Amino acid sequence: MEQKLYVRILKYILVLVIVLAFFFPIYWTITMAFKPHMEWTSAAGRIFWVPNKPTFTNFTSLFQRKISIASPLASTAVRPIVNSIIVSVISTGLAVVVGTMAGYAISRYRAGGNISFMLLTLRMFPPAAVIVPLMVLWAYLGFVDTAHGLFILYGLVTLPFAVILMKTFFDEIPKELDEAAVMDGYSNWGAFTKFILPLAKGAISTTALFCFILNWSDFILALILTDKDWSTIPVYLDKLQSGYVGKLYGPKAALALIAAIPPVVFGILIQKYLVRGLTFGAIKK
Amino acid sequence: MFKRNNQRKEEKREGAKFGALLVLPAQVYFFSILIFPLVCGIYISLSEWSPLSSGGLKWYMAFKFWSWLSNYWNLIRDTEFLMALVRTFIVVGIVVPAEFFLGLLLAFLFLEKFPLKKILHTMMIMPMMIVPAVSGFVFYMMFQAAGVINGIIGLFTAARVDIGWLQHNVLALIAIMLADIWQWTPFMFLILLSGLLSLPQDQLDAATILGFSRFQKFRMLVFPLMKPVFIIALILRGIEAVKIFDPIWIMTSGGPGTATETISVYLYKHGFIFLKWSWIAAAGFLVLILMSIISTFALRPIKEEVEKEA
Repeated sequence: MEQKLYVRILKYILVLVIVLAFFFPIYWTITMAFKPHMEWTSAAGRIFWVPNKPTFTNFTSLFQRKISIASPLASTAVRPIVNSIIVSVISTGLAVVVGTMAGYAISRYRAGGNISFMLLTLRMFPPAAVIVPLMVLWAYLGFVDTAHGLFILYGLVTLPFAVILMKTFFDEIPKELDEAAVMDGYSNWGAFTKFILPLAKGAISTTALFCFILNWSDFILALILTDKDWSTIPVYLDKLQSGYVGKLYGPKAALALIAAIPPVVFGILIQKYLVRGLTFGAIKK
Repeated sequence: MFKRNNQRKEEKREGAKFGALLVLPAQVYFFSILIFPLVCGIYISLSEWSPLSSGGLKWYMAFKFWSWLSNYWNLIRDTEFLMALVRTFIVVGIVVPAEFFLGLLLAFLFLEKFPLKKILHTMMIMPMMIVPAVSGFVFYMMFQAAGVINGIIGLFTAARVDIGWLQHNVLALIAIMLADIWQWTPFMFLILLSGLLSLPQDQLDAATILGFSRFQKFRMLVFPLMKPVFIIALILRGIEAVKIFDPIWIMTSGGPGTATETISVYLYKHGFIFLKWSWIAAAGFLVLILMSIISTFALRPIKEEVEKEA
């Protein structure tokens, strides 16, 4: 308004340059996924900014047994994709169920003392610092390379987010509703499940999507705790290699795309609440 | 009257019991999985036990290789361990401010109206939703000698560029930091933008009418109001940045040599490639102590913010 037109145009150009620069790696991965072998690198003499002869071979090769893979992994991408889905879904369910109950108790009854802050402190510690004793325990329990070995831990890792997100959502539901329900003769549990939970449906799905993104994104825990049966997409992506076509950029980019789609879609769905989730409810908007 | 009071008290006690019951699963879940690793980690760290070289003895037999505090004593004099710590804090000290200022710049730019704003906003926040291991692969691919980064540089130099980014000590670290900045600037952008949008617009308008310059407005209004948001954004990003592992492991595995080895990479490499378990149990415990000390200072503002709401 008070700004001159050329200032606004210059600012707009700056926005475009930064956004396009940030989008470029994603663009590059998408094009790579559709490029035939010859176009993967500039080794042949030139860079291919767009796929010259677009192809689906990268995708199909992920599901055929042709590419050899550093043993002892299962050889196609089917199993890791299924594993990722199973483990992420179950762990998300765990975190959301346990987290919803705890979040409600903290919001309404200030229960658990300092638990929300303790959970926050847990985020400070690099998982790498506890992997050795964890591995000892998991080996002792026979949990290595199993589904439950993975989702128990993922649930624990995302539990802090679930508890605190749900607490902030419950804080927004007026307390008078519970009190009215109890007056009407409902038990505390009845007030919670029959009145408050239905109101919190949207909040629960937001929390679930948020936890799913985090669980889906793990690499280090799956890298340590899984082997040939339960490795997830990121671990498979890391180990996918071939002796005779060198680095498998094309198929890897195709797999990267498959791995990227669910969290990006879910992330855009819950855009409004990303800030709240990522700041542990310290910033609400 | 007295009776009703009593009944209310009764109800309150009932409520507290119910609340305690509801948090119980979270507490059990939390403690049952964390206590053992902590105790077991300390126990192993006081020995020379390792899963392979100790004659196949189980972990609880670690007392046969008891060595008191020698792991800790050797660790605090171990150059590679200390360098990994120092390197981690150098990386954090560079990427977090870079992400902050870039994010702040973008947040200010996005306060104005312009065409395609919604699409550009979505494109901008996409990187933070990409699986970190995937972004590691993407940057690994782009920073190859025959990769696209050299191709882009070639457009400006008009000559073929063959920089082996990931094979060079300093360039590899730069490539990793760029990957981190790419992924997490959107995080800063999103937090700072939401902070800026919740500023009281009437006060800003009043300042404009009173003839304040943009700089004055920032210094006297925006900065003091945004300070808590700035602090939260910097601390949370800092905490996460210390843990950096996925992109590094995929891009360089800590190499060349140990040039890109941060603390998480060090712990993983020595724990699971070299199988020095008691050594890494000790190192992990040292890292936990260090992070606890840092966290008591760093988390205080966030704790206050969260409790203010409560």
